[in-house]
Amino acid sequence: MSKTFNKLSRPYLIWLIVLALLPVGVMFGLAFVKTEGVSFDTFYFSLESFELITEKSTITAFINSLFYALVTTVLCAVIGYFVAYRLFKSNLNNKLLILTVLILPMWSNLLLRTEALGNIMEHNNILTDILSNIGINFSIGIKGSPLAVIIGMVFTYLPFMILPIYTALEKIPYALEEAALDLGLTNIRKFWKVIFPLSLKGLTSGSIMVFLPTLSGFAIPQILGKGNIVLIGNIIEESFRNMNYNFGSLIAIIILVFILGSLLIINKMDKEGETLI
Amino acid sequence: MTNKVIIELDQVSKRFDDSVIVNNISLKIYENEFITLLGPSGCGKTTTLRMIGGFETPSSGNIIIEGKVFNDLPPYARPINTVFQSYALFPNLNVEDNVAFGLNNRTYTYLVNFYGGEDQLKSEIISENPELPITKKAIKKKINEHIKKSVSEALSLVSLKNYEKRRITQMSGGQQQRVALARAIINKPHILLLDEPLAALDLKLRQNMQYELKEMQRKLGITFLFVTHDQEEAMTMSDRIVVMKDGIIQQLGTPRKIYNEPVNRYVATFIGETNILPGTYVKKDLVNFLGVNFDCVGYTFDNNETVDVVIRPEDWDVVEVNQAKLEGIVTSVIFKGVHNELEVDVKGINLMVNTYENYNVGQPIGLKVDPYEIHLMKVDSDEQNL
Repeated sequence: MSKTFNKLSRPYLIWLIVLALLPVGVMFGLAFVKTEGVSFDTFYFSLESFELITEKSTITAFINSLFYALVTTVLCAVIGYFVAYRLFKSNLNNKLLILTVLILPMWSNLLLRTEALGNIMEHNNILTDILSNIGINFSIGIKGSPLAVIIGMVFTYLPFMILPIYTALEKIPYALEEAALDLGLTNIRKFWKVIFPLSLKGLTSGSIMVFLPTLSGFAIPQILGKGNIVLIGNIIEESFRNMNYNFGSLIAIIILVFILGSLLIINKMDKEGETLI
Repeated sequence: MTNKVIIELDQVSKRFDDSVIVNNISLKIYENEFITLLGPSGCGKTTTLRMIGGFETPSSGNIIIEGKVFNDLPPYARPINTVFQSYALFPNLNVEDNVAFGLNNRTYTYLVNFYGGEDQLKSEIISENPELPITKKAIKKKINEHIKKSVSEALSLVSLKNYEKRRITQMSGGQQQRVALARAIINKPHILLLDEPLAALDLKLRQNMQYELKEMQRKLGITFLFVTHDQEEAMTMSDRIVVMKDGIIQQLGTPRKIYNEPVNRYVATFIGETNILPGTYVKKDLVNFLGVNFDCVGYTFDNNETVDVVIRPEDWDVVEVNQAKLEGIVTSVIFKGVHNELEVDVKGINLMVNTYENYNVGQPIGLKVDPYEIHLMKVDSDEQNL
């Protein structure tokens, strides 16, 4: 039995080694050398990349990334909790349908979605066109501003927050709420003493699932920030595009360490697999 | 029952959509009694309990607790605590925090009054340490000491001493049950509601808990309102039993009364095994059933009125055929440990008979019954009337 399974898992194992493990290994190696692209003719050992890390632009990008990821996560947590809680408390028959509608945007292409969002953040777009036809002349031009980037990130990653919080809330037996009331708690205290602590797991999972992609992503700041806002993901992308594989690899590895650390936390917190990773 | 009425249900009804769950119930519950709502699932007993607890509001009628109408008051404003069927313990808290939950979440003023008022607490602080300035902080500290003491008292009452730091998930069903009890009684409620709390326990544990609950009720001197579908459980613990069916009270009385003198067929069959036979009330103290005249005592009907005759299986006396009033053939024997459960065919009718002696299938036996063991019920008695 287990032998058959071993054989069946072999293609995946090869795939994992060739396309994931090996590249990471190469990246790790590239971080400590100096090469022209990936041609190894002229390569020599060098810690030049490490010096680049301490450069102001890199540090700023790092701080920017952390800042934007943090702001997005907090906003998503607040909005996501409200949405999930409202849905949890509603008497709707088909909560699953609502949930599906909420996560529907997740299934469309990220770039397409972001471009579309960018479009309506500029003057003269399809929306203002329609609105002006019915006599409303109103447009905002926030594309390129930090606000635009944050809106884009929250818009993109909110479903990742709603889902785990909702699952955690659904798991709280109703009897616990009754018990809290029975023991003398008002509705508000009941929320803070019973519901909120028991949904923390979902909140943590959701936060990590929002924090990680916003920390390392580069498409949203690039499109919605019009290049004004440089995050660490943009630096990595740029270095690879400029054939500076050594520096790109080094930052990528550092980000990887962050991600692995967060995954460890998820593993600790989320034994039932609420998270979508 | 010279006791004070603590809860009064005054023509209380509860409707969900179109169906009537509780139908015009009136009931008085006295201070310091153990009262059980007994009935099959769907009879409205849990809904009644939930209305008293404040989890449901009655569609009509009044719930009067200690003289005040309590219909719309939320649960936290009632002098009542509940032990839930599922226990409903907080999984994120340990045993101690679960038990202290009710007290920990009360206001400062509530707790000061709970522990005897400000002067009482102040004098306690002074007697321990006269130099200590009496600040709000000192009183708070004193209250916390009191809570800690209350927790260990409550836990020792349910025999869970030294389990304070245990996690809920590490406790067995029986232990969780005890924690739930402790969590309710620590608040010193005037009324404790118990919603089938023993249903999830195994037989042995359940029997132990029945005695312990009864004992606890005596010790604490508070009113226990217990809900169950298990008639044996109700018999063991209750001072009074309320038998319910389809949202209506069928009979209200002591266990003995309900067992010996059921008002109708439903109560007679629900409370224990029984034989119900059609009969005729010939004249005063004489009843005819299975073609034979029997003496009976204490019932007044019209002469020659048809009645239902109730005879409990253990009330039959098995005697020699020649001394018997009724003759029958044993059709089945089941050994029940203490007694044998016989099925006896008498003139084509199956009777249940419990006896200590051994008999064989096919053996002819004689049956007799003492006059005071015969219980008569009106046949067309409206089952909705008490």
